[in-house]
Amino acid sequence: MNMFSSLMLASLSVLTLPIMSSILNTHKNSTYPHHVKNIISYAFITSLIPTMMFIHSGQETIISNWHWMTIQTLKLSLSFKLDYFSMIFVPVALFVTWSIMEFSLWYMHSDPYITRFFKYLLTFLITMMILVTANNLFQLFIGWEGVGIMSFLLIGWWYGRTDANTAALQAILYNRIGDIGFIMAMAWFLFNTNTWDLQQIFMLDPNLTNLPLLGLLLAATGKSAQFGLHPWLPSAMEGPTPVSALLHSSTMVVAGVFLLIRFHPLMENNKTIQSLTLCLGAITTLFTAICALTQNDIKKIIAFSTSSQLGLMIVTIGINQPYLAFLHICTHAFFKAMLFMCSGSIIHSLNDEQDIRKMGGLFNAMPFTTTSLIIGSLALTGMPFLTGFYSKDLIIETANTSYTNAWALLMTLIATSLTAVYSTRIIFFALLGQPRFLPLTTINENNPFLINSIKRLLIGSIFAGFFISNNIYPTTIPEMTMPIYMKLTALTVTILGFTLALELSLITHNLKPEHPTNMFKFSNLLGYYPTIMHRLPPLANLSMSQKSASLLLDSIWLENILPKSISQFQMKTSILISTQKGQIKLYFLSFLITLTLSMLLFNLHE
Amino acid sequence: MSLAHINIFLAFTVSLMGLLMYRSHLMSSLLCLEGMMLSLFVMATMVVLNTHFTLASMMPIILLVFAACEAALGLSLLVMVSNTYGVDHVQNLNLLQC
Repeated sequence: MNMFSSLMLASLSVLTLPIMSSILNTHKNSTYPHHVKNIISYAFITSLIPTMMFIHSGQETIISNWHWMTIQTLKLSLSFKLDYFSMIFVPVALFVTWSIMEFSLWYMHSDPYITRFFKYLLTFLITMMILVTANNLFQLFIGWEGVGIMSFLLIGWWYGRTDANTAALQAILYNRIGDIGFIMAMAWFLFNTNTWDLQQIFMLDPNLTNLPLLGLLLAATGKSAQFGLHPWLPSAMEGPTPVSALLHSSTMVVAGVFLLIRFHPLMENNKTIQSLTLCLGAITTLFTAICALTQNDIKKIIAFSTSSQLGLMIVTIGINQPYLAFLHICTHAFFKAMLFMCSGSIIHSLNDEQDIRKMGGLFNAMPFTTTSLIIGSLALTGMPFLTGFYSKDLIIETANTSYTNAWALLMTLIATSLTAVYSTRIIFFALLGQPRFLPLTTINENNPFLINSIKRLLIGSIFAGFFISNNIYPTTIPEMTMPIYMKLTALTVTILGFTLALELSLITHNLKPEHPTNMFKFSNLLGYYPTIMHRLPPLANLSMSQKSASLLLDSIWLENILPKSISQFQMKTSILISTQKGQIKLYFLSFLITLTLSMLLFNLHE
Repeated sequence: MSLAHINIFLAFTVSLMGLLMYRSHLMSSLLCLEGMMLSLFVMATMVVLNTHFTLASMMPIILLVFAACEAALGLSLLVMVSNTYGVDHVQNLNLLQC
């Protein structure tokens, strides 16, 4: 009997302390954000101990606490599943959140509602923890909806801005469409396996799992911004940069992928769903990488980069490698959060300038941010032996050597090279060259909060991949032998992307501006997807429903067919036929004629 | 009948024709109605007096009273029409058509 479960529960429950303190109103004082940040760092350190125990002994735990209710044969209780996935994700998430909290102490320093901001971030973290440690679908759904709600509140943080409100609503709507799939899966599991507990579902191993897995895939499409339900993620950049760093790069958007990873025992038996996942991920990663090529807002480029990496994770699930996808989730969190934090540092220093066409020459002005941006981009593109290499290169190798859809593989390789292209674009436009911002600048990165938080994630970006992949126990065996050209595929396409992008960017120094080509317009306007899908279907729906409800049903069936047509017909025919015109003279005249005639008849009748 | 009776009877008939055939003014119809009433009164009085039918000598006076009421009614209708249309042209009374 060891302290595994107690320490894990302690680590999760200290997170709820600052929320409870709002009852005592201690959240009004100005040191509340520091309290929150400290609590998260304590929770992180506390959660390292059970993780190390897990790594050492492979002990997995399920904590089933409180029996909530039993509905006929369904037993709902509070249960935590502390297995491979949650034990490794919780410290990673807490570490990244700790750094982001410290960063937002600097970034949101001048915001009057900073305590509320930290409370929202903390609530989000708690719901995310509920999601990853859930053992039954009901608890997972609670966490799922919770992160959706907190995402809405945080994206619309500056609610005075119309675009922010629209983006928050967009996020909720797209997530809702995914939730339909989730609820369909829950209903199927309830009917066919009589439970929402993961253990029982996996034990029963139902045969025809197409429908629930489709539902879960739809849920993942909504939450993880796959193609078809993706526009909310770039719009979500309306929120403050810490929100983008936490929610929309490391934590919330991986919830969809996490859900699919949780269900890997069911997915490994269903080839159809695997092919669907593969193709969906391939489309997503290529499409969003294409869209990222011509964006001008630095946060949007990084958002599309996130979307592309999420597509890569979905591709990994599609080739039946859930553990690799999970590894990519963990490593991706580090460098993506750091990229967002660097962009936040640049934005704040240039006085809230987000357009990369108005940045430049920051290489000498902000050395620390430059360093971390370049290292983050290199880690993202999979430079050997940085963090991204351990997961991304493995994914590309496994995809190359597996019996899979060649088109999806080609898309993924092209998207990998495009990753290098847009990373070079960011570095080129934001850091290199001559400054394109206003001369009176407020460039200052000397704040210890900023530097410490980025430094922590920097060390994580460099070493975490090595660290994690050397300490986890082997799960699926990676492909060890392959031809040398396959081994070097990822590296080759990345270097190709780098050189191409550098060459193209250097050309922009010399040529005159020209009209955008069709391809450019396609990429810049996100493939016209939001333009079409946000206008046409609602218009068609509303006009069709108006026509069918009020015109068809009310006007035609209830009014016109019988009542009004009868009355009109009668009136027309009676006017046509009758001779009466309502003139009194005619009536008098006819009376006189009748009188005369009758008198003549009476007198002449013998 | 005697000549006087025929005379009065003719007056009554002429007024009747005038009531039933008129051009445009409602007022002329009402005037002819008064003419009819007058001739009826004279005829009734003559017959009652000539036959010494004393018990019926109330009848012309009561006839006159009722005729006055009806004249008032007719005039009020005329005033109503004149309120609505300004003139009492009879072609205005055409609401009862279909």
